Amino acid sequence: MDEISEEDRLDRQLRDAAPYLDDNGFTARVLHQLPAPSRTRRSFRGAIILAAALLASALAYIASDGGRFLIVAMARLAALPTLWFFVVVFGSGILVMTAGVIAAISKASELQS
Amino acid sequence: MELIDADLVARVLVDDDQHAFGELVRRHQSSVRGMLRQLTRTDAALADDLAQETFVRAYKNIRSFRGEARFSTWLYRIAYNCFREDARRRKEFVGIDEEQLQAEQDPQIVDSALRHDLMHALSLLPLHERSAVLLCCQNGLSHDEASRVLCIPLGTVKTNVLRGREKLKRTLAEWGPN
Repeated sequence: MDEISEEDRLDRQLRDAAPYLDDNGFTARVLHQLPAPSRTRRSFRGAIILAAALLASALAYIASDGGRFLIVAMARLAALPTLWFFVVVFGSGILVMTAGVIAAISKASELQS
Repeated sequence: MELIDADLVARVLVDDDQHAFGELVRRHQSSVRGMLRQLTRTDAALADDLAQETFVRAYKNIRSFRGEARFSTWLYRIAYNCFREDARRRKEFVGIDEEQLQAEQDPQIVDSALRHDLMHALSLLPLHERSAVLLCCQNGLSHDEASRVLCIPLGTVKTNVLRGREKLKRTLAEWGPN
């Protein structure tokens, strides 16, 4: 038992004896030596997302008989009673606003840290 | 909200975010440089060169970090490899070896002001014991993690830690007040 506590004491002393080394420009020197970030990878990823979005839109347009689903959806919305129309618009607005506020708060706290 | 190491690594992987990598360097520079200073026997300039090499290698090979171990453990492994490679090169070109360095650091000629200096006592240990004690006792790695960093069997790590601790205690007792 005494031996264990003696080992713990030695470990603690070792940890305490190790000084914290101030950065003193070390990080800057390391960052200066890093290879330049790859721009091609980022633009390639953007191109893939754009191509996938265009393809999905084209498929949806063709599959819906030339965008008929949009006309049908608009007709349904127009046929809604005024109160229900207001509820749908208000609900959508609240949903989008909540998502925006959450994104803004998370970005702000990230920048603060 | 402070990001954990895994989040920062993810940013480096996904966006090639060098600011995130800079944060990782800031967090771990002291322990990596401290470990290398002990391994190089307090040669601060060499230790810092090796630490820079460690972080640059870590950045270039960050895709090989799979998150199975802690990021610091992965860094220690790279640092230890950098140290070994440099020691091998030096041995080839200059002819320095461990025994020679050991002989140069005779405890009998230690400055009396350093008698109770644990770090100095640590620097007197042979490399295999010093590295095991550094990782397990000073940097808080488990024996298993240390065996992965040092690429040696678990039993050897345990033996090296045990022997290193014993020698440290003995050295400190010898230096202690009579």
